[in-house]
Amino acid sequence: MAGATSAEARLSGADHARQRRRKRRRAEFLRHLLLAVITFILVAPFYYVFLASLKNSTAIFSYPPSLLPLPLYLGNYEALLWNTGFLRWMFNTLFVAASVTFIKVFMDSMAGYALAKIEMTGKKVIFLAMLILLMVPIGALIVPLWSLVSALGLTDTYLALILPPLANPLGAILMRQFILGLPRDLDNAARLDGLNDFAIYWRIVLPLIKPGLVVLAVIIFTDQFMSFIWPLIATTSDDLQLLTVGVAALRAHGGANYGLWSASAVMSLIPISIFFFVLQRQFLARSLAGALKQ
Amino acid sequence: MGENRAYAIELVEVAKRYGETAVLSGVDLAIEPGEFVALLGPSGCGKSTLLKLIAGLEEMSGGEIYIGGRLANYLHPSARNVAMVFQNYALYPHMTVRANLGFPLRTSGIARAELRAKVEAAASLLQLTEQLDRYPDELSGGQRQRVALGRAIVREPLAFLMDEPLSNLDALLRVEMRSELVRLHKRVGRTTIYVTHDQVEAMTMANRIVVMHRGVIQQVGTPSEVYSLPANIFVATFVGSPPMNLLSGRLETAGGERVFRGALDLALGRLAPASLPDGPVTVGIRPEHVQLVDPATGIGRRVQVELVERVGPDSYLLAQFGDGRPLTIRVDAASPIREGDGIAIRLPQEHLRLFDAAGNRVTKEIS
Repeated sequence: MAGATSAEARLSGADHARQRRRKRRRAEFLRHLLLAVITFILVAPFYYVFLASLKNSTAIFSYPPSLLPLPLYLGNYEALLWNTGFLRWMFNTLFVAASVTFIKVFMDSMAGYALAKIEMTGKKVIFLAMLILLMVPIGALIVPLWSLVSALGLTDTYLALILPPLANPLGAILMRQFILGLPRDLDNAARLDGLNDFAIYWRIVLPLIKPGLVVLAVIIFTDQFMSFIWPLIATTSDDLQLLTVGVAALRAHGGANYGLWSASAVMSLIPISIFFFVLQRQFLARSLAGALKQ
Repeated sequence: MGENRAYAIELVEVAKRYGETAVLSGVDLAIEPGEFVALLGPSGCGKSTLLKLIAGLEEMSGGEIYIGGRLANYLHPSARNVAMVFQNYALYPHMTVRANLGFPLRTSGIARAELRAKVEAAASLLQLTEQLDRYPDELSGGQRQRVALGRAIVREPLAFLMDEPLSNLDALLRVEMRSELVRLHKRVGRTTIYVTHDQVEAMTMANRIVVMHRGVIQQVGTPSEVYSLPANIFVATFVGSPPMNLLSGRLETAGGERVFRGALDLALGRLAPASLPDGPVTVGIRPEHVQLVDPATGIGRRVQVELVERVGPDSYLLAQFGDGRPLTIRVDAASPIREGDGIAIRLPQEHLRLFDAAGNRVTKEIS
């Protein structure tokens, strides 16, 4: 009798376990289904553009649409690379974005260090002014900026594209926050070890805020890569056009060539994808763990 | 002022203010070469600030600091010839142990071979040879602590400044590192100023203790002086665990005798100098000096034991006088006394300390 009861108990235990497993699997399936739907919503437009870039005009509008780019048509890419100024625009964009990123990461981290660690009169006022400046919309700045740049005789030059974005205070504010997180005793130790302010910044602070620098570089580069209004206003010659301005001009003047537009969109994505891919590893830079007692 | 003295470090009227708030005022202190001095006090008493002033990491509001006989007020921290061990180690996380140890030397530009030799000597002294190529986050708390010490040692400074270096280690490791630090001090023989709020660290490690409170030095003395002859009520209660028993009452003169009247009456004899007027005073006695007497003899004062705290070899009886005033008594752990027992005690005159109305000790030990 007792044996039968314990066998029943075992059986019902096994049933429970099976039920629990089934429930867990169902929940997991629903979770994956939801993720798949979201992924589809995000990826589908990209795939559609990619597909269109590999089709000729007739195939793009054929019904029902084919989900594979067959037969493969590379004419859009050929036209983009050889019949438009695309390569020049790409070079200009990369040159401007890389210059701004490089200079700005350096300047912002230095400004951030000064704001975070150096005692000086008026520091709070400067910081407040930077915060206020952050709230001014770009539209309100365009006209005065244009007058300034043109008074300096810089219109239609690379400097007109590179200098104004350097004044954006966001990076310095971001760096200040990162550097504030570094323990004061690290600077004290470095000072006792004979370093001056610049050496502390260069040899101690910079290596420790590498993850922050990467975040800043990504923000600045992406922002520059996608900026449109200022480059449109600041340059007039074809040789200085950036990707965003050039691609927009394609649409304005080139007629409804969806294949060409799609190819330009795909090609524009390549450099920024590579940039993300390379820097993503840097996010895993050595952390602060171990510097301090927890 | 301090140029002709043989002091390793001398502080003259050192003051520090943040706005209107005085953090340190009128700090005078002279430290002999090779001494191990502990700055002891509760949090916020200004001891870490004082250390930073000596290191040059904070600006003084007044006074003079001499290091090695030289006025150091205007010297850059790195030119003061002191090395500091920080409370949170402050190791450079992006450098290996080897680079951390060698960093102070590298910035001073010494030859590579010499640097290597010094780093390896320090590593071997601190048993860090195996860890030389590791990063700080790969080390245990004790090892990180030793790297921090090593970084100070390689500079061969005139003095070590240590800011609560053991405060975040676990209890067992702290005791171990404590004796290691004392051994190291004996071997290296450098002047050391050690900031701590832990009286056990101060008592066990230092040649001299500087007790601080609210930015003012309360007493400077050897551990036994500070313990036995506290300069004032603050020192009496801050040093020693449990603290000294304090009984407040009045000093009176009766028939030419000076007597204390309070929870119990005590003949003070030579404890109270003639110059001390009658009035409110406080009598202090350490728990280990309270004597138990047989109640049957009739001498002694009866107290009621409220609680018995057993701490290994000893027990502490937390007792109360009839009027509710507390008294702590140390007895042997084997003592049969239990909670609720009534016992009789006497306070031997030679162990009494007398404090005036302002809280300062007015007597010297009776010989």
